[in-house]
Amino acid sequence: MHFVAWQMLTGDRAKYLGLIFAIAFSTFLMSHQVSIFCGLMSRTASQIDDVRDASIWVMDAKTLYLDEVKALTDQDLYRIRGISGVEWAVPLFKGASRAKGPDGHFRAVILMGHDDSTLTGIPRRIVHGDITRLREPESIAIDQVGYEFFFPGQPYQLNRSLDLNDRTVRIVAIVDSNAPFVNLPVVYTRYTQALNFVGRERNQMSFVLAKAIPGLPEGELTGRIADRTGLKALTSSQFGWETIWYYMEHTGIPINFGITVIIALIVGTVVAGQTFYLFTIENLKQFGALKAIGVSDLRIVGMILMQALIVGAIGYGLGISMTAIFFETTQSNLDLRGFRLLPIVMQGTAATVFLIVFLASAFSVRRVIVLEPAVVFRG
Amino acid sequence: MLKYLMPVLAVFALAFSLYSVRRMTPSVVLAQPPSPPPAAAYPNQLGAVGLIEASSENIALSLPVSGLVTRVPVTAGDAVRKGQLLFSLDDRDLRAELALRQSAVALAQAKLIRLESSPRPEEIPPAQARVDEAKAQLEDASLQLRLIESVKDPRAIRQEDLLRRRRGVEQAQARLAQAQSSLALLQAGAWRPDLDIARAELKQAQAQVDRILADLARLQVTSPIGGVILQCKIRPGEYAQAGVLAQPLMLLGQTATLHLRADIDEKDASRFTAGAPATGSVRGDAAKTFPLTFVRLEPYVIPKRNLSGDATERVDTRVLQVIYRLPANTALYAGQQMDLSIQAAQETR
Repeated sequence: MHFVAWQMLTGDRAKYLGLIFAIAFSTFLMSHQVSIFCGLMSRTASQIDDVRDASIWVMDAKTLYLDEVKALTDQDLYRIRGISGVEWAVPLFKGASRAKGPDGHFRAVILMGHDDSTLTGIPRRIVHGDITRLREPESIAIDQVGYEFFFPGQPYQLNRSLDLNDRTVRIVAIVDSNAPFVNLPVVYTRYTQALNFVGRERNQMSFVLAKAIPGLPEGELTGRIADRTGLKALTSSQFGWETIWYYMEHTGIPINFGITVIIALIVGTVVAGQTFYLFTIENLKQFGALKAIGVSDLRIVGMILMQALIVGAIGYGLGISMTAIFFETTQSNLDLRGFRLLPIVMQGTAATVFLIVFLASAFSVRRVIVLEPAVVFRG
Repeated sequence: MLKYLMPVLAVFALAFSLYSVRRMTPSVVLAQPPSPPPAAAYPNQLGAVGLIEASSENIALSLPVSGLVTRVPVTAGDAVRKGQLLFSLDDRDLRAELALRQSAVALAQAKLIRLESSPRPEEIPPAQARVDEAKAQLEDASLQLRLIESVKDPRAIRQEDLLRRRRGVEQAQARLAQAQSSLALLQAGAWRPDLDIARAELKQAQAQVDRILADLARLQVTSPIGGVILQCKIRPGEYAQAGVLAQPLMLLGQTATLHLRADIDEKDASRFTAGAPATGSVRGDAAKTFPLTFVRLEPYVIPKRNLSGDATERVDTRVLQVIYRLPANTALYAGQQMDLSIQAAQETR
């Protein structure tokens, strides 16, 4: 009986391919759009994700998201260190500055200042150079995008100079960091040096990065810090999501992508579902014949489900590989870094596709069950 | 063929996708900071930042008078004794003044000697001679008078002669008295009040010399303590201002033992108990911690001075300053920053 089902499915080559490609393209459309959306949104929290060594961020109580910062006082750092359960705490500066290349090209850059003695939170994926050389005076690390903007098409070379707020700085390392939302270059330097680059303000400590002592849940420590200092303390992932939600709520991006994803879902469902439904309807005669020779309804339902699964699996496999190929080809593009096919998207798309084919076959099954075997013998 | 090709193709496509997703997914590993940050030392602790200073506290040398620096025989890092010369200021005008004052002393001294050594011995014989002369004249006059008085017959002498000779004796007596008193005056020497004046004048001139010497001594700046020169910001040829300066001319301190001045936020001050043990680590080498001994606390809570050293910065909080002693023989320097963990009282929430 399985063989009969397979033969029925592949008997008409055009319908067979039509079904497969309908499912493949809706798979591609859904997984691709959702991946790009996820990539774009996770970019907003790139600087949080880049900090791999501290898991708690402390900030002003009214901070909304990563990019708008009200500085803490220097003494807050020591108050946080005094809270039991804090293994260590270090300052972090995040601000903006303008960098000018040797040929006069300039760009706004994100300036990160990491604790002088520990360099906590510095990116670890070093493309070229040595991150510990940041301890030298007037030295910076820059991300690949920044380097390629200021020195387009040139090989990675250290000790080149940039002008940062009228100060000449040397590049001592080129790092691979997560892309910021608008893909600005990111400059990493020491905390005190970053303060000098941006000029004098009274309070400049943007964040305090902290770590909980082993065995203490981070959630409890963030509560303790908030209690004792009146500041806001979040874990990295909480802060990342808070930042992402800020962009979701205050920009048009989710609406735009949401519509695309929903359209992909609807188109995929409708096309795949309808094609499969029509395929079953057209094969009603064959099912009728099978019923006439005494095949049970259950057997027929099994056949239809098998057909749906085969078509769904082949379509999904081809569709998801199209997405994978797309992201494979864009991996080397620095401006598109961070966009990738997420495992969760792969799983979600699979679930959606199989739900679609299951629904479509369910509709068809109803027609086959209520079918009178005699219909075969009518004209 | 195609009907079999599609499933095969799909299997390969799916395998590729799975491989690709696995490859593209960055491995999220939690890293350790490049250098370990100062870790909490006590279950309940206070965090603080401190500045290392000399056990005598850092002495910013000030001058009572301004002047041009001519000589600086010491350099930063030198160990100096109490009273050792640190630098000299230009003293040429005071030296000239001193010569003037010293000549005034010599003058006063000479005047006094002249008074003290009077009478001049050479002046006595003429005066004595005048006395002798007056005596001789008196004797002569007396003789003349006696001769005329011995004449018994009053008619033999003129009354007038007798009177004249009597007057002559009186005159000679007066002259003798004058000569004798002149001699006595001469022999008596200088009058005491004159001597007193001369002595007072000498003393005054001497005092003026002493004052100049004291002024000169002030131009030789010496160390108020035995210790080490932590900083020397004055060089020969520069003008040193008197009074308190933002940038002191010289910084001195006893560095045999070092102290640590820690700032505790006023909001945390209630959790601090005097005598609480603490450990500290220097920036850049947090793995190495130093045990600290409580010395004292300054009972006045002061506005926090930012360690960036910028004087224009405004105050954001007030801090309680606590002094700790560092262990001996550590490769640490006054002025270095330290991160402290101070054992605190149990939190009350």
